[in-house]
Amino acid sequence: MAPDATAAGGIDGGDTSSVVQLSSVTMAFGGLLALGGVDLDVAQGQRLAILGPNGAGKTTLFNVVAGDLVPTQGSVVIKGVDCTRLPSRHRPRLGVARTYQKARSFPGLTVADNLYLALVGRRGRHMSLLWPGRVGRDLRDRARAAASAVWLEDRIGMRVSDLSHGQKRQLEIGMALATDPDVLLLDEPASGLSRGERERLTELLEQLPAHTTLLLIEHDMDVAFQVGRRVVVMADGLVVASGSPEEVQANSLVHEIYLGSEAHT
Amino acid sequence: MISRRSLTRTNAVVAAVVVLLLVLPAFGSDFFVRFIMTQTLILGLMAATIVFLTAYGGMISLAQLLLAGVAGFMFGNAALSEGARGLNLGLSPWVAVVFALAVTTVVAFLLGALASRTTGIYFLMLTLVYGVIGYTVFAQVVTISGPSGITSIVAPEPFTEPVNLYYAALVLSVLAYIAFRAIGRTNFGLAMQGVRDDPIRMSSLGFNVALHRTLAFTLGGLVAGVAGLLNVWWRKQIDPASINIGPTLAILIIAVIGGISYFEGAWLGALVYVLLNTYTKSIPLIDQIGLTPDRFNTVIGLMVLLIMVLSPEGLAGILERLSRGRGLGKPTQHSVEPPTTSTSPVRTGPGGLQ
Repeated sequence: MAPDATAAGGIDGGDTSSVVQLSSVTMAFGGLLALGGVDLDVAQGQRLAILGPNGAGKTTLFNVVAGDLVPTQGSVVIKGVDCTRLPSRHRPRLGVARTYQKARSFPGLTVADNLYLALVGRRGRHMSLLWPGRVGRDLRDRARAAASAVWLEDRIGMRVSDLSHGQKRQLEIGMALATDPDVLLLDEPASGLSRGERERLTELLEQLPAHTTLLLIEHDMDVAFQVGRRVVVMADGLVVASGSPEEVQANSLVHEIYLGSEAHT
Repeated sequence: MISRRSLTRTNAVVAAVVVLLLVLPAFGSDFFVRFIMTQTLILGLMAATIVFLTAYGGMISLAQLLLAGVAGFMFGNAALSEGARGLNLGLSPWVAVVFALAVTTVVAFLLGALASRTTGIYFLMLTLVYGVIGYTVFAQVVTISGPSGITSIVAPEPFTEPVNLYYAALVLSVLAYIAFRAIGRTNFGLAMQGVRDDPIRMSSLGFNVALHRTLAFTLGGLVAGVAGLLNVWWRKQIDPASINIGPTLAILIIAVIGGISYFEGAWLGALVYVLLNTYTKSIPLIDQIGLTPDRFNTVIGLMVLLIMVLSPEGLAGILERLSRGRGLGKPTQHSVEPPTTSTSPVRTGPGGLQ
């Protein structure tokens, strides 16, 4: 098992070209070193689960990849484009979509409008003062389809502020999936979902198109190990282990720092 | 969720009011039409730009009167030719209109570009600073105004006739009302609401948050400039005191009285403000309780306090609740929870966002 976190190989062992490349990424908040020089290489179509205890640096790593944070040192290359200092708003053009640890959506708008905005963000025409025409209708149709994909078809006209926590989580996943992303970053998507919803989420993630590269932070081991074909384990801002789910579960260091006896069950 | 029935009822009421206003000059007194209602429509148009920025963008702006003032001052500078203070450019009135609106739009864009980096209370304070700076500039720079301002301003034909000016204010108010509501369903308007609710999320979806805020502020500034032109044509003069802090706050108060998340509320608040300002001074024996004419602000303050206690959604919110047969203290069916970020200080209502 290689601790350098090179996660090559597509979901079916097909395309192995790198889509996300992190080189010596360091992120310091004052005196706190959140990331201590992370190297990560994720191939197209890879399903990568990132594990680690609280404070390991997983979400910081996501924020760096998504452009919400500019790393103190190192580089971030997505689909061959150096994105290290590019603001997050440039990521969707590269086919990057993400969710947040705490679901973020637009509570004053309806479910349909949230999904529509996600699609407009990817497709452009952000500044149009004209009423959406045929293109707008197409996007509305896609928004409805995205709502159905995350089981919100009967909530599509509701304001997000009226949704439950789990439904907001579903909506956020729907907003990410609606854009048919090439790189999908999901930060604890199963958090707050019921057991049945988690099973449906797992099923949904397993059905992602083969070209979609998935980076998944998840504390639910059932979801992480079922969806992730490769697993990276982080601790104290460093990648300490990587490999297949079986390799990671058999790793004694991982047992010590994170999994404990859970891995044997 | 906003019901279609509610929208239809709102539209029907607004249409009825517009029809009433169209025929008002036929039976209303000259004073009521030319003074009360023309002033109401102009102040309402200015306040509507605050509602536009607040309801859609979460940006409570105190710079709208400044931008209206910029348009007024620039028109005076451009249209007058001799013997007046200012640049005396001597342009034809309609060229002066274009010049004034162009300058206002550029100023709004520049001020918006700077203010777009701030949110919440910082945005509010920065736009207040804009107002103070604007007042100081026009009061001290005699080339474009000076402390006495510009007088003898004449509106372009046919708006020298007060009734025509009233109709111009009415038509422009209706157009702005329709446009502001329609914008809420465009990509730009939806994006503004997204920025209001969660700018970080909007950025991660690919939107340029700062540019959106800047352009929204610019659009609001352009409409405020139109209101400023009407205002300067109505008053026939403009001076720095008319854009000082007091009048600046008055526009915000108008929006709050009417309901800062209802576009209808802008004109409703303006009507109440103008009526109070005009008639409280002549109420019999009112001076016996200490409300002398120079204490108009006390009346307005009490009014705002009363409305805040009854309903923070203003008069439009109160009327809406009453029309639904709900008590004043109960939330409306389609009010949204206060959004999660500091940039989202408003509730949204039926007339406001659909």
